[in-house]
Amino acid sequence: MQPVRICSLPPLLRAALIVISGLAGAAASAHHSFAMYDREHPVTIAGEVREFQWTNPHVWIQVLVPKPGGGMEEWSVECTSVNYLTRWGWTRHTLTPGDKVALKVYPLKDGSKGGSLAELTSINGRAPNLVRQE
Amino acid sequence: MTRLTGAMLTLLLTAPLPGAAAPPVPAPAPALTELYADARQPDISGLWLLTGAFYFAPDRSVPELLGEYKALYARRMQAFDAGHPIDDVTADCLPAGMPHMDVVPYPFEIMQTPGRVTILYEYDSVVRRIPVGPTGSGTGDSGTAASAAAADVDPSYYGVSAGHWEGDTLIVETRHIRADTQVDFSGLPHSDALTITERFRRKDATTLENRITLDDPKAYAAPFTVTRLYRLHPRWKIAEYSCSENNRNRTDAQGRTSSGVAER
Repeated sequence: MQPVRICSLPPLLRAALIVISGLAGAAASAHHSFAMYDREHPVTIAGEVREFQWTNPHVWIQVLVPKPGGGMEEWSVECTSVNYLTRWGWTRHTLTPGDKVALKVYPLKDGSKGGSLAELTSINGRAPNLVRQE
Repeated sequence: MTRLTGAMLTLLLTAPLPGAAAPPVPAPAPALTELYADARQPDISGLWLLTGAFYFAPDRSVPELLGEYKALYARRMQAFDAGHPIDDVTADCLPAGMPHMDVVPYPFEIMQTPGRVTILYEYDSVVRRIPVGPTGSGTGDSGTAASAAAADVDPSYYGVSAGHWEGDTLIVETRHIRADTQVDFSGLPHSDALTITERFRRKDATTLENRITLDDPKAYAAPFTVTRLYRLHPRWKIAEYSCSENNRNRTDAQGRTSSGVAER
């Protein structure tokens, strides 16, 4: 069976799968591998926030990442919805353009510069202070 | 030329016409306690979130499908497994419809008022208005279940619902659902003959149970029932949710899309 390419899925389905992955890691509930994202090989990217799209159905972080040979490339990092991130302690002010961030990302398998957010590791050198709503 | 001021316009609109009878004085509004609580109903109110998987049946069992519906589901599953699901009305942010809303990964709030239960869903800011008849009546205020079934009603994403209480259980029957909604995100189909029966009861202080039966003689060999549980989240608030705000992953008719990666 082909793995499900999460970004090619409709918003509600992607929300469901991203929520599963965010809450429970590899979900036992779906027999599909739910990724155009490579969950086996997460990568850490470090760069500068170009844009923080605090939007539904999904939040996106546009990050400018230095290329090994010089210059910058832009990554599109997909998160879950505003509604879920809010309950996980995020706000629209969590990230601001210009912030230096490190992100753990499940990268796109096709090599495009994008991925699904696994963890916001640091903001301007500090661990993010996110308190989940119970 | 005289300009019509706001005050003049108000006068024109509110002054009684010559010879017309004075408008009837409206009855005083009911007290808020009367509007927003109904001690006669068992309490299933609160903010609830689905537990378990987002398939209609958590174990992914499905009804025995008939004829064209069996073939349709096979086509959809093939596309789903290949990574480009087809026919999903939510792809371009159209409503998920019923019974999909019973198994979405977003919370909903149940509000009980005399003669009505209202479900306020976070996903897509959907509202279901359920008229609720007296205990044991089997009717809502839209008429008997039989007349509702016979009525020539336009099919809609959420259909027409009527509820009644039996003991601690709210029984909601829903009909007139569009045939192009899906039962869950796997693409499980139903026909326009679908009747959904939801049986809501508060299993304990923090657990809502919903036994859902899908009766669809056109599409299914027999009625199909699952029991889903929802957990109370007393401190959460329902927030706005618009799917159309920034959907970067729209699909085409073949279910294919870009990755959502910004092109620059």
